[in-house]
Amino acid sequence: MSSGNYFTNEPKEPVVKSETVPGPQSSAGIKALGQVTDSRPVYFIADYEKSVGNYIADVDGNVYLDVYAQIASNPLGYNNPALIETAKSDKMIRAIVDRPALGNFPGADTAEIIQGLLDMAPKGQDKVWSGLSGADANELAFKAAFMWYQGKKRGFTKGFNEEELKSVMSNSAPGSPELAILSFERAFHGRLFASGSATRSKPIHKLDLPAFKWPKAEFPSYKYPLDKYEAENKKEDERCLAIVDDILKSWSIPVAGVLIEPIQSEGGDNHASKEFFQGLRDLTLKHGTLMIVDEVQTGVGATGKMWCHEHFDLSPAPDIVTFSKKFQSAGYFFHDPEIMPAQAYRQFNTWCGDPARMILAGAIGKEIAKNNLVQRTKEVGQYMYSKLEALSSKYPKYIKNLRGKDRGTFIAWSLESGEARDKFLKDLKTKGVNMGGCAESSVRLRPTLVFEEKHVDILIQKIDQLLASY
Amino acid sequence: MGMSSKRGYIQGKVIANCVGKRVFLNGGVARRPYSSVAEEYFPDEPSKPVVTSSQIPGPSSIKLTKELGRSFDSNASYFISDYFNSKGNYISDADGNKLLDVYAQIASIPLGYNNPALIETARSDVMVNALVNRPALACFPSIDYGKILSEGILAAAPKGMGHVWTALSGSCANETAFKAAFIYQNAKRRGSLDVSAEELASCMDNKPPGSSDMVILSFDKGFHGRLFGSLSATRSKPIHKLDMPAFPWPRAPFPQLKYPLKDHVKENHEEEERCLAELENIITKKVAPNKIAAIIVEPVQSEGGDNHASSFFFQSLRDITLKHEILLIVDEVQTGVGASGKFWAHEHWNLSTPPDMVTFSKKFQAAGFYFSDPKLQPKEPYRQFNTWCGDPSKALLARSIYQEITKNDLVTKTAEVGSYIYENLEAMFSKYEGHVQNLRGKNYGTFIAWDHSSPAERDQFISLCRSKGLNIGGCGSAAVRLRPCLVFGKKHADIMLSIIEDVLKTLRG
Repeated sequence: MSSGNYFTNEPKEPVVKSETVPGPQSSAGIKALGQVTDSRPVYFIADYEKSVGNYIADVDGNVYLDVYAQIASNPLGYNNPALIETAKSDKMIRAIVDRPALGNFPGADTAEIIQGLLDMAPKGQDKVWSGLSGADANELAFKAAFMWYQGKKRGFTKGFNEEELKSVMSNSAPGSPELAILSFERAFHGRLFASGSATRSKPIHKLDLPAFKWPKAEFPSYKYPLDKYEAENKKEDERCLAIVDDILKSWSIPVAGVLIEPIQSEGGDNHASKEFFQGLRDLTLKHGTLMIVDEVQTGVGATGKMWCHEHFDLSPAPDIVTFSKKFQSAGYFFHDPEIMPAQAYRQFNTWCGDPARMILAGAIGKEIAKNNLVQRTKEVGQYMYSKLEALSSKYPKYIKNLRGKDRGTFIAWSLESGEARDKFLKDLKTKGVNMGGCAESSVRLRPTLVFEEKHVDILIQKIDQLLASY
Repeated sequence: MGMSSKRGYIQGKVIANCVGKRVFLNGGVARRPYSSVAEEYFPDEPSKPVVTSSQIPGPSSIKLTKELGRSFDSNASYFISDYFNSKGNYISDADGNKLLDVYAQIASIPLGYNNPALIETARSDVMVNALVNRPALACFPSIDYGKILSEGILAAAPKGMGHVWTALSGSCANETAFKAAFIYQNAKRRGSLDVSAEELASCMDNKPPGSSDMVILSFDKGFHGRLFGSLSATRSKPIHKLDMPAFPWPRAPFPQLKYPLKDHVKENHEEEERCLAELENIITKKVAPNKIAAIIVEPVQSEGGDNHASSFFFQSLRDITLKHEILLIVDEVQTGVGASGKFWAHEHWNLSTPPDMVTFSKKFQAAGFYFSDPKLQPKEPYRQFNTWCGDPSKALLARSIYQEITKNDLVTKTAEVGSYIYENLEAMFSKYEGHVQNLRGKNYGTFIAWDHSSPAERDQFISLCRSKGLNIGGCGSAAVRLRPCLVFGKKHADIMLSIIEDVLKTLRG
């Protein structure tokens, strides 16, 4: 399957009609929208009707090759015909107009819809709980971890004592115990209050918000190229694992879960080795805490595996894996029956997910499997990486620390400064490429799973043209 | 089920009340009769409940729930629904039962099952587009998003609130409102000063001064969601909160009124004064006003037991928040979108100044918060931000829901049907003293509740109602709440009333 099969009318190349991006129509739209809601982060006003496959159109008639794909959340290209068919199905119509309180009144088709998610579950996981966004998915996973941690001490099916029942209503221990989630420096896990407490990417994400007194460990900082610095990087792994071990032993608050991204994405596309992740898995087992892998951005194929942590062959499998973004549906996978609370109404809310989004996830999974898109992404990623490697020797100042080798299209690099990065991304839009940044001075490639060699060629050509003009 | 004789009784009462004709309780102009909207939407809506299994859940529901439970927590499942065969006010289940639904997916179905107008919206090209091309809204909004907002969510905005921020659920709506409050209050505290290096560094360690030590004050028995910030404000039941770390935020007492209201005017006023005094005491003595970013309150504490307070209480609360420069967030997640007989329940209070923020979700399908002061939008971009920032497909639904409500005058109709239900329950309950009491929700649309003599009897009541074809929900410790959709008409009310009386007779023995 090539994207040509899905998109017979996909543009051959970008078209830039306006002199600036945003163009005049976009600028007017941004201003109007700003009267009623925050429109300051808007890059341009998109015309989704006219967007096709890997190309996003805007109101000024510009058509960009999109390697940002709605902050890594568009799975199969704009107006994918298979998803359009799903969106028009009777099942979808019912799901939209009769949205159930899924915990109380699941539908006759709920099991089948859930199976669509489970068909794509990471190795070792056979249960799921659904939420609505990545932040929500992570917080639901935290709740599962806290209930599990206390259940382990109390007895999973045992009731609560009077003191717990009373103290919890005033937000104090023992009913509301002090428990922590350990996360890593530069990590991003969402922006609600608990996920925000685990997030350590940038001050702008956290400033002025109350946060739990949770610990953070250090995420390995490797030297590149990796093959040249094997010994140093191994030491870095060991140093970081020792910090985790120490925190799990001595932090003032018991740590119920260790939360980690397979690749720290918002935080700068920071990678760590298979050995680091296995070492972390071992530490969670040693200290009786859960390992939660946040696959919100890395999951669903982009890294050349359906789930990025599958690159690590972890043994045993992680306890909880969270998802959202490209899957359109959000939530977490797990396998231990004790992670499902024994009592009703503990992991509960009105909607408990959204069948409309779950149906889409099932369709996305089916298309990925049918068209072997994970394997294709791996191949396209390798092709793209080698082309970028060549460009980086041509423009070392603008393509530094290229990372994401053998991680599909999940590729990033750094520039010399935040300013240089911002200028590069802005200029690239005027060449017809929509690309995103991460951390202080990096850019990240987050194309859809139908991004192919021909799109890579255009991308490389546009970057080359732009950097040649610098 | 002995329906016909009960119907006779109830209809007899109606005729007595209405002198054989419709009365317009809100003094409105003549409109179509009560039930015509449901008939128009659902010409083939069942005329009464159908119960074919010997119990509910029936064998198919039990089997499917068990199967589902292997991979998905279904501990709280009542029965397995068949949404394809649900229609209007009736929910079908996997055993072929058809129940009159006055719980409506925990108060979240606005216009009945399989509403044709919403089906049309769901089938539209714009909906398909919104589903398959879900944008990162804050970065790449679509051409029509502004229009969708202004014709829907914003057209429905409470008076004086011209801005909105969209989210995904009630919890998420409340938490984004909390974030707006914390960012606003800290900006105010800082004044013209820049953010300090210490603030920037300390927030990365989750420590003050960068991580704020300000709080959200909520009320005893309040329910505001189940994520960690919203859950810290939730004070409904232990099961919602146990084993979860929580912020050390304060709670104030919420008035516990005595019913019937007309017989306890003085006591209830004193109770409200007591709660207000204690609130003032907490603000000034226990916490300090400049530490409280916002107070969050529901117009009716719904999960917590349908606890009401008077306009006097809420106006006084508004005055206190203004006096201490604390923001007032009104949580309309459950009360909003028509069920109370006003589009927004807080409109019953006629506040002197609008609340600072009003949150919504449930019946609107879309979620988020309204605000009036543009300063509640952070000065810097990307502070109130996330990948999706809402969901255009839900904003489209919200637009259609608003348009249908307006076109068919469903808020007025809900007020009328609600009064009808209230009057009939009042008359009925006088015969079952000792079993049911504290009927509440007068002049509050269909947002009606009452207490049973014990939690066990309440649970039994709900279970018996279900076995007679009425799907009804509980709240608080021993309360039952009515949460039908907005196309619940008089004919549905009659069937419901008849089943309720049947069950009360059984309980009385």
